[in-house]
Amino acid sequence: MLKGVTRLVSRVHKAKHEEKHEGQHYNLPLQDMKTIFPHGLPPRYAMQMKTFNEACLMVRKPALELLHYLKNTNFAHPAVRYVLYGEKGTGKTLSLCHIIHFCAKQDWLILHIPDAHLWVKDCRDLLQSSYNKQRFDQPLEASVWLKNFKTTNERFLNQIKIQEKYVWNKRESIEKGSSLGEVVEQGITRVRNATDAVGIVLKELKRQSSLGIFHLLVAVDGVNALWGRTTLKREDKSPIAAEELALIHNLRKMVKNDWNGGAIVMTLSQTGSLFKPRKAYLPQELLGKEGFDALDPFIPILVGNYNPKEFESCIQYYLENSWLQHEKAHTEEGKKELLFLSNGNPGQLERLCAYL
Amino acid sequence: MMMKGGNKVLARSLMTQTLEAVKRKQFKKFHAASSEEQATIERNPYTIFHQALKNCEPVIGLAPILKGGRFYQVPVPLSDRRRRFLAMKWMITECREKKHRRTLMPEKLSQELLQAFHNQGPVVKRKHDMHKMAEANRALAHYRWW
Repeated sequence: MLKGVTRLVSRVHKAKHEEKHEGQHYNLPLQDMKTIFPHGLPPRYAMQMKTFNEACLMVRKPALELLHYLKNTNFAHPAVRYVLYGEKGTGKTLSLCHIIHFCAKQDWLILHIPDAHLWVKDCRDLLQSSYNKQRFDQPLEASVWLKNFKTTNERFLNQIKIQEKYVWNKRESIEKGSSLGEVVEQGITRVRNATDAVGIVLKELKRQSSLGIFHLLVAVDGVNALWGRTTLKREDKSPIAAEELALIHNLRKMVKNDWNGGAIVMTLSQTGSLFKPRKAYLPQELLGKEGFDALDPFIPILVGNYNPKEFESCIQYYLENSWLQHEKAHTEEGKKELLFLSNGNPGQLERLCAYL
Repeated sequence: MMMKGGNKVLARSLMTQTLEAVKRKQFKKFHAASSEEQATIERNPYTIFHQALKNCEPVIGLAPILKGGRFYQVPVPLSDRRRRFLAMKWMITECREKKHRRTLMPEKLSQELLQAFHNQGPVVKRKHDMHKMAEANRALAHYRWW
């Protein structure tokens, strides 16, 4: 059901979003949200979903543009990289979620990393990697991610077979030809090997997506964490570079465009970033020289504040759910005040309306 | 009274978070209720806030009066602003002292406001205790000279 400015009641299928639907809200079924997004939704949006008992996304121009590109991807060419950038609170993460939902409906395999910044800070246990002595493992983060990956992509895990033999330790090994699901299970049960399991999953998916059995969508939020500094330290208090974390190393290989059969969509984020100024939002500033060169041919998509139509639509949506309880919020002056206070910034508007 | 050390920003953000918490709790109750009850559930956080404080205001207070070398607690009428001040003060001290170390102020305040809105909870009890003390010391009322 579409709600918003024009109040169309017809149900439009996700794939048929056109420019004329811009500014309208699209209702997502809650069951889908639980399977596709066990992680990765912004926390305030998750709270809003819980309060309203429904999940509604606004269809906006950046997402429409990306959907158009994705519909016309040529799977024989190397994967195209798209970077969503913009100021804080403009809706980059939610646009990413829109794309992910679209691709999930089209039956792509979704590789969603909810926030790469969580992997480079505040890690309780760092183990030295058994596979490569220079690198470090993060068992907790890896096992949590594997659990969520399993929830999202249940049906693919049995279909995809790994093509190489991997040895975990002296007694356990995975034979060639067993399914990806077993690798994921091994990672979840044996937490020590979880990081290596993640590495295997990434490598196999990259290799096999070129074959054409499935389409792969790599969605990374906060991709600037991969090339920034970390706050993690070794036992002798010397800092660890991002390169030395096994998870980050494997992820960097994943976003390189030497494979085909899918697309890579990324978001920059200043909010979780380490040692970057608050006002920085451009790709050059947040990625740094190294990151920019690594990602070099990419398509940047700017996500901006609401234009007047979208703002009006958002206010209408809140009024329909009776979220704006203050009497003056219904008036024209109230709307003008809200527009002024939030400057059309979706995040700010949401926080303002929360207590009105 | 919420503000400490002149930190108005913090006090304001605590209040807005409280109002948001109140609103979300009421919405949750609203969605869980049947359609007859939905009409009675109030969702505007401002009306809940004002009504809760009105329910906590005492009507009559006690003043210590010195007579013959002893202080007597004499029941005395309170002015409007004194009543409002006492309601707010009781609410805030109650939330500060009687909460678990890990619960946050907005969470606890929203709980207390909702209880006071329904005329239940510790702050309304304190108001009733004040009224009972005043009733008990009725005999001393003639010590008041204003």
